[in-house]
Amino acid sequence: MIGAGIKRGTAELAVLSVLENGPLHGYEMARRIEQQTKGALRFTLAALYPMLYRMEQRRWIRGSWEIGHNGRRRRCYRLTAAGKKKLSPLRQEWAELFSALRRLAKVTHA
Amino acid sequence: MPDWRKLVNEHLAALALEPYERAEVVEELATHLDETFLDLRRRGFSEEDAAKSCLSEVNDWSDLRRKIQSARRKEDIMSNRITQFWFPGIMTFVLSEAFLALMQKFGPNPWILAWGQPPIAMFYIPWLLSLSLIGGIAAYLSHRAGGSRRAVLSSIVFPVPPFLAMFLLLQFPFYFSFKEIAGVDFPVSLIIDWHGVHHITALAFLSALLGWVLVPGAALLVGGLLVQLFASRRLDSRRIAGS
Repeated sequence: MIGAGIKRGTAELAVLSVLENGPLHGYEMARRIEQQTKGALRFTLAALYPMLYRMEQRRWIRGSWEIGHNGRRRRCYRLTAAGKKKLSPLRQEWAELFSALRRLAKVTHA
Repeated sequence: MPDWRKLVNEHLAALALEPYERAEVVEELATHLDETFLDLRRRGFSEEDAAKSCLSEVNDWSDLRRKIQSARRKEDIMSNRITQFWFPGIMTFVLSEAFLALMQKFGPNPWILAWGQPPIAMFYIPWLLSLSLIGGIAAYLSHRAGGSRRAVLSSIVFPVPPFLAMFLLLQFPFYFSFKEIAGVDFPVSLIIDWHGVHHITALAFLSALLGWVLVPGAALLVGGLLVQLFASRRLDSRRIAGS
């Protein structure tokens, strides 16, 4: 299980990455992240929405109300051009961090 | 199923947003809880356990309210462009002009560059040094506001176009009248035969351009890029560590 501090730091990358594949609403996004990381990353409502609103203010993502297949209104988030641009350097930074940690801790793949 | 709208509405009653914005937040969070509840029920949770699990999504509603307020309002006050470019840029320009005026009034004599006679240009060294510091401040402010590399760079060199415009303006007959009005000399002035504009040589013009525009621009960039490099490493490692 990854520690809480690191989890917070991965949040932006996780959200941008799942939105890269298409628009999602908040709950779907949280589920997708949890499933794709096999439960290592889990966003509660309290963690997810302030971050989504902040990212929306930065114009990395854009939210809009849509009617779901069950007829319910849901707010869907999409990656914007600025968000796409942000994703690449973020990935690079994380790759560098993990690579540095691997070198430091001499961690090898099992 | 519990009435999530009512619950969220009660907990976020003090959310200081516009009414329509608050209603949207309430609806969105309630929908999230609805979906969580239904999903848990589909996965075999009892109604009571599903409701408990939903409630555990938020430990501290006051904290959530503060975070939502901060996330939705903070950047409304000043748009990104203002905080990332205009504010640091204008501050860079004002500080550089203020330092120049101070140096000319109270600072040491300028260093005079001469290749024979007459001398070509003079440099206010302390002012040029202060530009590195000013460029650094601009880079820090722009970077801290989340500015892109382009925004940071633009705010660092913000004063250069005005320097260039003033340089071009002051090279010509306006020189003396402008100086009388503004009371500020060039940071690097041509000391050539000003009474005969025709005598301006290409070498003198380029030297002055170098000192008036390019050297101050480079001084701003040196400090700015150093701070940008330092700040980006520091902030990136902070963000990665999640602190």
